[in-house]
Amino acid sequence: MVRRPRMSPLHDERLAAWLGVALGASLGAVFLTGLVSHFMQNAPAWAAWPSRPVNLYRVTQGVHVIGGLAIIPLLLAKLWTVYPRLFRWPPFLGAGDAVERAVVGLLVPAALFQVVTGLFNIAYWYPFPFFFTVAHYWTAWILAGAVLVHALNQRRKVAHAMMTKPDDAVPRRRFLLAVGATSGVVVLTTVGETLRPLARLALLAPRLPRTGPQELPVNRSAYAAGTTALANDDGWRLRVTGRVARPLVLSRADLRALPQRTERLPIACVEGWSASATWTGVRVRDLLDLAGAAPDARVRVESLERTGVYRRSWLDAPHARDPLTLLALGVNGAPLDADHGAPLRLVAPNRPGVMQTKWVGELVVT
Amino acid sequence: MIKVGYAVGAAAILYGLLGIVRESEPLGWLVWFAGMVIAHDLVALPLALAAGTLLSRWPWLRATAAACLVVTLIALPMVLRLGERPDNPSILPQDYGRNLVVVLAVMIVTASLVRMRRAR
Repeated sequence: MVRRPRMSPLHDERLAAWLGVALGASLGAVFLTGLVSHFMQNAPAWAAWPSRPVNLYRVTQGVHVIGGLAIIPLLLAKLWTVYPRLFRWPPFLGAGDAVERAVVGLLVPAALFQVVTGLFNIAYWYPFPFFFTVAHYWTAWILAGAVLVHALNQRRKVAHAMMTKPDDAVPRRRFLLAVGATSGVVVLTTVGETLRPLARLALLAPRLPRTGPQELPVNRSAYAAGTTALANDDGWRLRVTGRVARPLVLSRADLRALPQRTERLPIACVEGWSASATWTGVRVRDLLDLAGAAPDARVRVESLERTGVYRRSWLDAPHARDPLTLLALGVNGAPLDADHGAPLRLVAPNRPGVMQTKWVGELVVT
Repeated sequence: MIKVGYAVGAAAILYGLLGIVRESEPLGWLVWFAGMVIAHDLVALPLALAAGTLLSRWPWLRATAAACLVVTLIALPMVLRLGERPDNPSILPQDYGRNLVVVLAVMIVTASLVRMRRAR
């Protein structure tokens, strides 16, 4: 006798509701931490980002990237649970239902788009024709809006699922535990790229916090930036220009003659990894005072790399005046490696790694 | 209150779409946006459902296989090393194929232990 396989009882409204609540909360967390990262890198003129707490960006971006990875099992489970509803007939009942289905028709591709492009980005693979951060940022707004409308549409079903006890024997708890455990495996095997104590478990992390030149990972190498020769170039000078009373031109020896500071600061990458290091160099604040810059000055830090969207960064007053903000000549007790920005790099607290400009040639005070 | 929520949601969707059109590559974006849902709903999930049907008599095995499949999918970009850069060995510094085997083995052993405890 041929038995037709029955549909699993787990394609179920109550389970979909619980998964939806978990997804809504975790998508909210990655949306907010994503906004933090976006506005840190594209600060509007009226708002300067604070330079403390030192590790704030490290935490928010860790939540964003590792949380985003943890969402993947949840999302796939949710889509599996509700899959039969894709084929329901008639496709919609009335105008309100048609709108709800259209919103879900944006929600599902947007959610898949975000986790897939995010995953490819942390794996440093860019097979798509758009710039990652721009597409990821704008798609996040589509996803956030669609999640909000969908959550409002489903609020009664969710309330019912949460407030009442099921009167059947569907093994929902077991299913949810399995999904949660899968997310747990993903977190445990990746979070060590930013959380040092768990580095040994980071079997699937694209980075290790102590692997790289001078025990520190590198995002853009000197070779890729075309700045390899700078490390041994005696003609290199740091210029401090713009709205200053005394423009400066400083050689390595001039910089070493200024008061040297040693600070422990993290490089916290937008891709989610982070690593602390001990940096030695000159305070940006001391240089600005030496040049006679205004105390509320904004500073543009210019790299000597010729190409790349991150070849310059801005220091708003809180970062420019922070005593922890250094132009570093050395790291972990040795002169900077060419890949870490030799002869001189910026390192400041609470700031994405792409804004810790390497191969610095000029500070332009505005 | 609910109406305000709907208005905010609709505004966010429009804001995002407008941003894609004005600042990204709308056509390339659309190919990936639509391609993603086609690949998932019409290819990947039907295949997973067919495989699940074959394993329907062993729900424990099916759950373990599904969890392993999801972890493998997430690890795949690392295992395939598609983002490798010869000038930067700090990117993808591990043997991800071997590591994935270790992770899957631990998952399977753990799932077996849970099952044995339940069966007792």
